[in-house]
Amino acid sequence: MDVIIKIDRVTKRFGGLVALNKVSFNIYKGEILGVIGPNGAGKTTLFNCITGVYSPDDGRIYFNGVDITGMPPHKITQLGIVKTHQIVKPFNEFTVLENAMIGALFGKRAGKISKEEAREIALKNLKLVGLAEKKDELAIGLTLHEKKFLELARVLSAEPDVILLDEALAGLNPKEVEESLDIIKMINKDLGKTIVMVEHVMHAVMNIAERIVVLHFGQLLAEGTPKEVAEMPEVITAYLGDKDLALKFVRR
Amino acid sequence: MVNVKEYLERPTFVLIILVLVAIALAKLLRLETTDYLITIMFFIGIAMSLNLIMGFAGYVSFGHTVFLGISGYIFALIVYYNVWLAEMLDTLFGIPIFLVAIVAGGVSALVAFLVGVPVLKLRGAFFAIATIGLDFAALYIVKAFIPIINPEFFGAQIILPAYALAYKNNVFVAMYITFALVLITNYVVRRSRFGMGLLAISEDEDAAEALGVPTRKYKLLAFALSAFFTGMLGAIFGLNAGGVDENLFNLAHTIDMIVMIVIGGIGTVMGPLVGSIIYFILYDTLLVTYPEFNLVILGSIVAVLVLFAPRGIIGIIRGKTIRGKRLRDIIE
Repeated sequence: MDVIIKIDRVTKRFGGLVALNKVSFNIYKGEILGVIGPNGAGKTTLFNCITGVYSPDDGRIYFNGVDITGMPPHKITQLGIVKTHQIVKPFNEFTVLENAMIGALFGKRAGKISKEEAREIALKNLKLVGLAEKKDELAIGLTLHEKKFLELARVLSAEPDVILLDEALAGLNPKEVEESLDIIKMINKDLGKTIVMVEHVMHAVMNIAERIVVLHFGQLLAEGTPKEVAEMPEVITAYLGDKDLALKFVRR
Repeated sequence: MVNVKEYLERPTFVLIILVLVAIALAKLLRLETTDYLITIMFFIGIAMSLNLIMGFAGYVSFGHTVFLGISGYIFALIVYYNVWLAEMLDTLFGIPIFLVAIVAGGVSALVAFLVGVPVLKLRGAFFAIATIGLDFAALYIVKAFIPIINPEFFGAQIILPAYALAYKNNVFVAMYITFALVLITNYVVRRSRFGMGLLAISEDEDAAEALGVPTRKYKLLAFALSAFFTGMLGAIFGLNAGGVDENLFNLAHTIDMIVMIVIGGIGTVMGPLVGSIIYFILYDTLLVTYPEFNLVILGSIVAVLVLFAPRGIIGIIRGKTIRGKRLRDIIE
């Protein structure tokens, strides 16, 4: 498998707190990677380092062999890594379509596509997440669940290679979680996008991810398939709590 | 190929053309004095210049009087010290005035760019406060240094020599061209990718950056562009007034600009255009009818408007629909 993102001994400190401590692992092309760990483990910090929101204090991040450490977020987006936000951030006074168009206009083909093309890309992705009928509504009127889908459509319109999902399933009811998982699988399988997801909805992530990375107090605690990770004693004590329950999630 | 019919279906475009035609007609038919028209264009023009950064990117700048001041003084100094240029101002239908104003505006754009690098990192109220500081700093620098340049500039006042004072018609033409440029730039920017990026910044700057909008570059560009036009208008206005003094730096001008945008509706082109016309008419009529109370009345009207229509006149109507089309989509 080809490495698409290489994280090499990345360290990030906030004052005295070490949010990430020499974290190294690879993200492979075309996979779904789950990142799990207790609150404060450094998951979101890791995402912010990859997307350029934070600049790591130490270590490097490579994307397709290119060193992207310390690049501004919009450059990294245009290279092909985009993330959705833990707390949804729609452009409220924009219509749903305009929201997605921003993704297309400033994404991987920024400056190379016309507004008409951007509109088509945006529409295509809104259809994909099932928001096409609401394209002319203002984003402020959407439900949380729709806003999360809008984030997804917006990110897809940027035509990235890697999509980072920061708790895309949090706050959704079971039916909505199922819907979201179907869409995420489809994005991965049919569109060939690499997906990295930070997630607390355990049965979902254990089910959908091909590999899992566990962070704990800013350190890489474990890495492996969902089944392997669920059986590791240190992961169970640190995060999962109950081995049988964890394995049950994997089998589902 | 430009489709004329398509443009006629865009109310904002039609309004811009109407305003430009109305002013040209008023001038040709001598319905009002030239001075009055120059003042109208100055008022609407500075509001529309500020709209580029405040309306689109959501950065409320209280420092825009700085650019009126800087360009006003630069223009006055250039004319004062270049007699040949000053004598040329009254020729060629005001084109020389326009060109010198471009230089003066360029200086403001440069200052905006340099100041913008640190200041545009601030957001919301902090940006606004920093720009107020900018205004005071510029005012005191000018007060301290202008009299040093030449003792004749007593009290930081530069009175232009009589031979520099252009025939009013030429000042009018220069102002008219600048004014038209400001309106057209607003219209073009609003519909461009750059404009969409700016509006995204005003909605959520972090989300915009994460989606690939080069937020720093766009903010700087919008700020410099806004300063450029504000400066040009200030320069021509200074010439029309026969000289400049520290009053150009008066914070009240900025407040006027901001109020005009807020009355009309932030984030649009039509809003500030309608808002500034209404504000100017109100201001002007109230000044004549109630000279003691005009600001009290005007202030109350503004306060009530902001309370009940925070997104201005356009904000009230933009949700409404006409023949199945939302007004918002038609207006913008």
